[in-house]
Amino acid sequence: MMNSLNKREWLVVLRDSVALTALCAAAALLVNAVRPDGIPVIEKKEYQIYVPCPETLGKAEGVSPSQLRSPGAGKVLIVDGRSREAFDAWHVPGAVSIPFDYLMPVSADDLNRVASSGAAAVVVYGDGEDPDSGEELARELAGNGIRNVRFVKGGAPAIQKAGKGGAGLE
Amino acid sequence: MDWKGHGWIALPIRLYIGAVFLVACWHKILHPESFAMDVATYQILPLGLVNLMAIVLPWIELACGLLIIIGWRTRAAALLIAGMMAVFLTAIIVALARGLEMSCGCFASQSMAEDPISWRTVLRDLGWLAIPLYVLVFDRNPVGIDGLVARLKRRKKT
Repeated sequence: MMNSLNKREWLVVLRDSVALTALCAAAALLVNAVRPDGIPVIEKKEYQIYVPCPETLGKAEGVSPSQLRSPGAGKVLIVDGRSREAFDAWHVPGAVSIPFDYLMPVSADDLNRVASSGAAAVVVYGDGEDPDSGEELARELAGNGIRNVRFVKGGAPAIQKAGKGGAGLE
Repeated sequence: MDWKGHGWIALPIRLYIGAVFLVACWHKILHPESFAMDVATYQILPLGLVNLMAIVLPWIELACGLLIIIGWRTRAAALLIAGMMAVFLTAIIVALARGLEMSCGCFASQSMAEDPISWRTVLRDLGWLAIPLYVLVFDRNPVGIDGLVARLKRRKKT
């Protein structure tokens, strides 16, 4: 295919390309040096780049409080996404505490704890506010590759209400 | 390979790719600071080379666009255009692989919403890469100044 040009012709093309590049570079640098709005050839200050961060949130399905322990077959890991104080004051028996912070990613230790739990499903509950910390944490876990993550609609208040009202949480 | 029709097939696509490069370089030459920001956004080049690239590249685009249109040093222009397209393609693919949501920066500086990079951009650039490669490989006697010079040389010999 490429043998339509002989070696000498290729050398001429390469020579012309290098010469053209050098001429353009010289002209560009000269113009940049004399124009009033020229920019420094070597920038020393970092550019402030505003690029949206890659989406780290995955999809998590909402479940009702009655489905807390039975979203599917197999072992369920229940995660409390509220603050440590709220967890100490009350939590679903057997739940593990992973306090969710909107400004901080979930730590690698917490992700490992969830990933190595051996659970077939993860159900997260949060403060039930808008936005709900449980839903946000569930989506972040899903975005980090944890499968079968769900969140309890209404969070801890809905679970407490369902418990008091007699709805089964088992 | 030496079929003369290649020159006439290459002519319209040379005019097209030349026009694309002339349009592309215009805003970059007028606003080097905006283009430097576009280059920096790709986060590929070290900081020390960003401005140099932003200053020099548009002038190479201008020269290549003009030369491939008038048909002078056509193959050198085609080689440089192919090289630039390969660089642009690599930069876009790397940015897409990193999940960067950003403007292409291929023409005037536009917001991400107006001109986002996507796999469609990659396909478009692959098409634009094919044009200079066709000219480089098949266009033995480019219509234009190169063709005229070659004809004059042949006449002198005879």
